[in-house]
Amino acid sequence: MSEFLQHLINMLVLGGTYALLGIGLTLIFGIMNVVNFTHGVLYTFGAYIMFIVVQQLGLNFFLALPVAVVAGWLLGAVIELTLLRPLRGSDIDTTMLVMIGAWIAMQSATLWIWGGVAKSVATPFPEAPLVLGPVSVSWLRLFVLAAAALLIVVTYLLINRTKLGCAMRATFQDQDTASLMGVNVDLIYTSTFAIGSSLAAAAGALLGPVYVIFPQMGDLAAVKAFAIVILGGLGNITGAVIGGFILALAEELGAGYISSGYRDAMGFLIIIAVLIFKPTGLFARSERVG
Amino acid sequence: MLEVHDIVCGYGGVTALRGISLQVQAGQLVALIGANGAGKSTTLRAISGLVPPRSGQMFFDGKEITRARPPRVLASGIAHCPEGRRVFPHMTVEENLDMGAYLRGDSAEVAADRDRIYQEFPRLAERRRQAAGTLSGGEQQMLAIGRALMSRPRLIMFDEPSLGLAPNIVERTFAIIRRIRDAGTTVLLVEQNAFAALEMCDHAYLLENGRIVLAGTGAALIENEHVRKAYLGG
Repeated sequence: MSEFLQHLINMLVLGGTYALLGIGLTLIFGIMNVVNFTHGVLYTFGAYIMFIVVQQLGLNFFLALPVAVVAGWLLGAVIELTLLRPLRGSDIDTTMLVMIGAWIAMQSATLWIWGGVAKSVATPFPEAPLVLGPVSVSWLRLFVLAAAALLIVVTYLLINRTKLGCAMRATFQDQDTASLMGVNVDLIYTSTFAIGSSLAAAAGALLGPVYVIFPQMGDLAAVKAFAIVILGGLGNITGAVIGGFILALAEELGAGYISSGYRDAMGFLIIIAVLIFKPTGLFARSERVG
Repeated sequence: MLEVHDIVCGYGGVTALRGISLQVQAGQLVALIGANGAGKSTTLRAISGLVPPRSGQMFFDGKEITRARPPRVLASGIAHCPEGRRVFPHMTVEENLDMGAYLRGDSAEVAADRDRIYQEFPRLAERRRQAAGTLSGGEQQMLAIGRALMSRPRLIMFDEPSLGLAPNIVERTFAIIRRIRDAGTTVLLVEQNAFAALEMCDHAYLLENGRIVLAGTGAALIENEHVRKAYLGG
């Protein structure tokens, strides 16, 4: 029983960052319809920003997280403006190839700048974990969960309660009509891609210090993000959050009770199962943002 | 108020408008009639900036709006209530109305305008928290009209407001459009129901194959032999 409780705790920590990855991708892939192969690179980018700010510049750990979010936002905006805006209206295959190219180029740039050796980030948290009866959890992981939960709530409020969020939803439900209401549709596309990218960077910045940081770390994260989006239904924010936690639970249980080698296979198994049994995702179409 | 000079417009290789000129005087209700595919909707889409014209010029209150994008056209005072209602289906009734006021910064006034729309259409008030996609066709039409009014336009363009609605709702929609004109807002109406449009308008244009072939008062067009034969069923 205590082993199961421990898995649940781990699931919460992992699920929070998976939810961030999933929300970011559901905005871009689910509602903008861009098969975003750069999502994993943005995750890696966020982790390296953490490394630069904490290890190379020697600044505060807690300052590094907002820096990573802003840097991810900026890189996302640059990708949208330079690669996607000129391709607006071209078919999905063209966009996909360009995004694959961007993924390879950016990953190679990471390798070129920082080398292939894995890096770690020192954290201000105590080594000894917090012990609660039969289970224990490290302070760093608790912080990761709290920060992820905060970012999820902020994103939810941004999309559902602000004028920008309203314009985003309107644009992806009916672009022409949104522009008839006075919405600058180009600006909404750039903002949405930038917000999605900043969430991927935030997930990387949060999980980077938990594990180690290396140029290919985003590849697996990207696959997991696609699994979460497919599981939750395209464009469904709540679905992405729940999907993130379901994937985390499946990974924890798969690793704990089957074999730790199966951890990363769970995402692929979920994609296969969802596509066979419920291709629209677990949650209703009516919950879609766009 | 609105002057359109010799607009040519097309999608890809197809030319939809072959030189359209028309005028809308302030305070009038002007109707644009014609068959399916004659270019009525494209004319409205060209005016509101959704389809930039290949040549020609457009002026609103003397200011050129020929290649202005939709947000600028709306800001200059022209609202476009599109064909098929086009409410945002996954947004609530209230969010749809607020989208109509997207460019306005005066939130107290916007709230007051929203209350006026709710008074006018009590069904919308009852359903303000409901997703617009769940409303009936007639309710969606009321919402689309209300949303267009939320920008406080000086000219409002309606594209086929009667399309797909039950006869009693059609009556009601036309009554609302007349009331909007009587309250001082200029109206440009595109309508397939030629008789109803000609009966209520001050001035009308007949479009055929992307050209204006006839213009005059509504009464004059109703009497016209060609209009009677081709559009009024005898």
